[in-house]
Amino acid sequence: MVLELTDETFDAFVRDNPVAIIDCWAPWCGPCMRMGPIIEEVAHTLAGKAGVAKLNVDENRNTSLKYSIRAIPTILVFKDAVLVDTLVGLRQKEDIIESAL
Amino acid sequence: MDFDVMVIGSGPAGIQAAIHSARRKARTVLLGKAGNSAMAGAKIENYFGTGGPEDGSALLAKGLSQAEAAGCSAIGKNAVSASAAGGSFSASLESGAEISARAVVLATGVSRNSLGIPGEKELFGKGVSYCASCDCNFYKGVPVVVIGGDSEAALAAELMTGYASEVRWIADGVAADPILVERARRAGAALAVGRPVRISGSAGVESVALADGTEIPARGVFIELGGRSSADLAMDLGIMPEPDDSVKVDGGCRTSVAGVFACGDVTGRPWQVARAVGQGAVAGSNAADYSKGAGS
Ligand SMILES: Cc1cc2nc3c(=O)[nH]c(=O)nc-3n(C[C@H](O)[C@H](O)[C@H](O)COP(=O)(O)OP(=O)(O)OC[C@H]3O[C@@H](n4cnc5c(N)ncnc54)[C@H](O)[C@@H]3O)c2cc1C
Repeated sequence: MVLELTDETFDAFVRDNPVAIIDCWAPWCGPCMRMGPIIEEVAHTLAGKAGVAKLNVDENRNTSLKYSIRAIPTILVFKDAVLVDTLVGLRQKEDIIESAL
Repeated sequence: MDFDVMVIGSGPAGIQAAIHSARRKARTVLLGKAGNSAMAGAKIENYFGTGGPEDGSALLAKGLSQAEAAGCSAIGKNAVSASAAGGSFSASLESGAEISARAVVLATGVSRNSLGIPGEKELFGKGVSYCASCDCNFYKGVPVVVIGGDSEAALAAELMTGYASEVRWIADGVAADPILVERARRAGAALAVGRPVRISGSAGVESVALADGTEIPARGVFIELGGRSSADLAMDLGIMPEPDDSVKVDGGCRTSVAGVFACGDVTGRPWQVARAVGQGAVAGSNAADYSKGAGS
């Protein structure tokens, strides 16, 4: 249910959602696997308030380069298309929601 | 090597579990390094029957010989991975050995992963990483430093030689199995003894300073202490750890996977020896019974 973005769809998603939360991940990363269900819950809790999506950094190098992502999982939080927070490492649901409100 | 019960972790929880398992006549193997227990080098103030501050290392040494006397095989090596298949479990050790068993006791304590030096927190995600296997791809063609003396550091140093332009591996003592150290070296990692005191950089990591004044230029710093973390081992075995990395158990120290038990600090607070050995006794007994098909 959480949308998978690509380098091509990233900017439009950030533009179209007043609050956008994007979980940058890769399939070989243990902590990313643990972040998956947490992000699903965040999406559920913030439905209608924020757009929540995932970006596979392995397949979408341009976006990871643009935002200088050097560790995963990393969560990017945008408000009105401006990057307002970068959360590095495994985070609890509450932390993520707080940074988006 | 095939056993009934495999105990991962040689702190008070794992040693007590091994004692109870072996005394129930289950063929028991105990993995891990007692020297890496939270209790090693600590003064234990409040443990029953000791009469006051007791040397943690001495208690561990006595406990280990007690476990061996009870018939348990103690192998002082870290597990580098674990797996579950067809009702049996196996672990790969840093020495290359494979161990299998019908039941597992996870007693890996709380993983210490940060160094606590200036620059570490500030540069996390900007060059500082705690997971080489997650982040290796971001460091293609740049120099990196790997910090730590045990098996995870050796594996990370070896892995990073496939990505970075240069890998400097800094340890203030090497505890990793010689086989792993040799593999990392042969892959091209340069091992040096030293104690990191500071990580510097503004937008990203620029260098790591050692206690002797050496400054090593680097774009990435991988901090990899100890053995494979409790959370990773739990995931290997099909258990989803709690957000704080702990593993949930019921009153019988059973995890969400049948045949896998857990005890001690890995199951949550309070982080105390008395709780660790209490749970260890329960987990060891139940694992022994489970391995013999007596359920638990
Ligand atoms: C300074 C200090 C003082 C303390 N004082 C007290 C006190 O007064 N009273 C008290 O009750 N408690 C005290 N504690 C806490 C107590 O030491 C811990 O609660 C206790 O050691 C927990 O036992 P454990 O067996 O669960 O974990 P640990 O003792 O931490 O043992 C974990 C074991 O797992 C092993 N391991 C980890 N990863 C792997 C792997 N991948 N493969 C194989 N093995 C692995 C480790 O090497 C280690 O052998 C103190 C702790 C410290 C640090």
